[in-house]
Amino acid sequence: MQRPPAAVAPGARRYEAIGVSKSFDGANVLTDVSVTFEAGQVHTLAGENGAGKSTLLKIMAGVYQPDAGELHLGGERLAGLSPRSAQRRGIYLVPQEPALMGSLSVTENLFLGILRRGRMRTVDWAAMRREASAYLARVGLTVDPDARAEELSIAQQQLLECARALAHRCTTIFFDEPTSPLTAHEAATLFSVMRSLRTDRYSLGFISHRLDEVLQMSDRVTVLRDGRSVLSGDRSALDRASLVTAMVGRELTTRSRARPHLDASGAREVLAVNGLTARPQFEEVSFSVREGEIVGLAGLVGSGRTEIAEAVFGLRPVERGTVRLAGELLAHRNPRACIDAGLVYLPEDRGRHGIFADVDVERNVTAGVIPRLQRWGPLLRPSAERSMAEQATAQTAVRMASLGTLMRSLSGGNQQRAMLARWLLAGPRVAIFDEPTRGVDVGAKDDIYRLIGELAGQGLACLLISSELSELVATCDRAVAVYEGHVVGELQGADVTDANLGALVVGGTPR
Amino acid sequence: MTALSAPSAPSAPLRAGETGSGAKRSGPVLLGMLRRRELQLVLAILALGALSSALHPSFLASGNVSFILADSVSTMVVAVGQTIVVLGRGIDLSVSPVLGIAAIGVGFPAQDHNLSIFLALLIVLVIGMALGAGNGFLVAVVGIPPIIATLATLTIYGGLQFIFTGGQEVVNIPNAYGNLGNANMLPGVPWLIVVGAAVVAVVWFWLRRTVTGRSIYAVGNNADAAFRAGAPVRRILFLTYVVSGLLAGLGGLIYLCHVGSADATTGSDTNVNLMSIAAALIGGTTLLGGRGGPVGSALGAVFLSEALQAMIASRVPPIWEPAGVGALIVIAVITDRGATPARLLARRPFREPSHGPQ
Repeated sequence: MQRPPAAVAPGARRYEAIGVSKSFDGANVLTDVSVTFEAGQVHTLAGENGAGKSTLLKIMAGVYQPDAGELHLGGERLAGLSPRSAQRRGIYLVPQEPALMGSLSVTENLFLGILRRGRMRTVDWAAMRREASAYLARVGLTVDPDARAEELSIAQQQLLECARALAHRCTTIFFDEPTSPLTAHEAATLFSVMRSLRTDRYSLGFISHRLDEVLQMSDRVTVLRDGRSVLSGDRSALDRASLVTAMVGRELTTRSRARPHLDASGAREVLAVNGLTARPQFEEVSFSVREGEIVGLAGLVGSGRTEIAEAVFGLRPVERGTVRLAGELLAHRNPRACIDAGLVYLPEDRGRHGIFADVDVERNVTAGVIPRLQRWGPLLRPSAERSMAEQATAQTAVRMASLGTLMRSLSGGNQQRAMLARWLLAGPRVAIFDEPTRGVDVGAKDDIYRLIGELAGQGLACLLISSELSELVATCDRAVAVYEGHVVGELQGADVTDANLGALVVGGTPR
Repeated sequence: MTALSAPSAPSAPLRAGETGSGAKRSGPVLLGMLRRRELQLVLAILALGALSSALHPSFLASGNVSFILADSVSTMVVAVGQTIVVLGRGIDLSVSPVLGIAAIGVGFPAQDHNLSIFLALLIVLVIGMALGAGNGFLVAVVGIPPIIATLATLTIYGGLQFIFTGGQEVVNIPNAYGNLGNANMLPGVPWLIVVGAAVVAVVWFWLRRTVTGRSIYAVGNNADAAFRAGAPVRRILFLTYVVSGLLAGLGGLIYLCHVGSADATTGSDTNVNLMSIAAALIGGTTLLGGRGGPVGSALGAVFLSEALQAMIASRVPPIWEPAGVGALIVIAVITDRGATPARLLARRPFREPSHGPQ
């Protein structure tokens, strides 16, 4: 005999964010975003990773404080919201990674913070176990209430988080990208729970960048891009094409190409990647780059494109698959072996993986080739080093006071030019450019792409990774699209368009 | 440059202020030099000498100067090794017992069998390298954070030092040792400081002019980036601990020559760990890695030695010595602008990036 816990929720109150802005370390993550959650609706926040979706929900759940803007719950303005006060007001965030206490029981996790107490104010385990089974049944979770939370699968932990929201009497429940670690079957289970909550007039927030899910689950959709709301409306008023455009299409006006398309099908294949697999990041990835060709690797942030590039450069172990450079197998890959074989990788995160901030520009530039500067055994030749650095920084037009300037004092664009100079010195045959224009001002962007074009003109095989589809369209001769770790299509020459790429990277098909 | 010859330079106008503070640094040459920690220390050493001799006229007597210098050398040599580890963003807390084991390891054979000093040199270097390799293994191969790994070996090596002495002491060393440890080459210039200067010079050259030495700075500054630029990060980290051990072992021989005795507490009784780290910090090497060098650390050791003598001359009770050294460390770290508490706490061992699921 179990009494139904929260009977039927009386209907969540309308919860609004109005003009919310947030920046971290000077980088704007959200700019003037407004969004409304209503009872009996699933409101989906769509957009690429890094678009600001999670930050918005975390602000609305009291995890972060907004820099500007207001939160209104049923007309009441909420200020200084904390996760605890949000929960008391009925707002619960199911985080991307379930945040449960692994060594505590399912029951204890459900009631953490609101442990039921009996006589003598001691914890009333019997009452909690009874109540727990009711909540677990409500979300379709059939596990032992005394099991430890860490024994549950990720999917079960998510449902437990959801039951926890119910136990806390929350009626507005946010799901932060819940389906990314789930199998299709597990996701279907979660969706059926969400539908039944919607029927009971709960208000649900849902984050996803999978187009099919967005279309399937939503009553309302808000698309964020670069921290701004670019589209908001009822599901019925939206179609697949408009969503794709909103999610990925930046500057849909086509950029003029700096160089004509190159048909390199006759040229020598310099980089050949075959069946590369490192689950769950990517699986059976195959592509090639020919001499003088610029091949784009297109995909959303989180699609596995950086992981693929890192695996090619020997930064990640793979289960299987091969990388060949000009026909020769690169078997035991590590950065040193790759550089010496003529493969270089310009990392996406320049600050963490590229530069030595407290070291001067000269030594930053020569860092990839110092073993080649040896003479008489281990001794370096300072004069040779200096002239190499001078030549390379002149080629990439690094603007600096002198070669002795510390790297940290250069602008982002000039740091990137210095990184390009480092890899020019290595004399590469293949270069992987991972988001080469990230954190670079507009003028320097064009310079960097022009430089890449010139290098290709001299025979360098280039693999270009960018989430700016228009930049790929304007630069690449060919493009390979990845979606959720799989190569889903390849476009050649004039077929490399915003529309075609945009459809592929969200799991659709080109027109 | 195989495939690539010079592409034409992109032509965007130079924006004002783009190079930021780098340009500001090249102000008047003299002011720029004053920002260097090495020069600041030389001035501090001279100023402290002048002040002390004003208060105690005998302070700058040739014998006292020579003592201050000679007394600094074992700390100096160990501090140079410590500096190498710290440049790679590590720390070596085990130099005390390494110095102690080396001192007794050659002290007993020297006392009982008149071991030749050249053989003694060879032995302390081997002992130091072996013990340093133990630290390197724990940090670079096993991946234990340096502070924990060397805290463990501090205890292990310290215990071994007790076991090896078996309650005995070294009290009598051959004349050759004592002469090296206390005689002067020129008036006011002890032989030991020549040894110390030679060590500093070799290490300075190694760090600046070899691929390995330069890679230590790169690894300490940004291990991820160094790995991606092709540096063998683990091998380099391992090597820093081996060299630190080697120099701590050499410090043990120098200590034995200078002091003339050794026992189970040698190294820890003079707090070599603290003194070597203090000398490195005072010398401008930051615990964040990648910045500093052996010259500053050597000057730091001389400054510490001088400061201790100045305290003695002023009849400050010896019990205040550790507090004085501690205060100097605080001053050194405060005046090092890069080191915020958060960044100091973020010390982690290098792991090759991205292995396993995210």
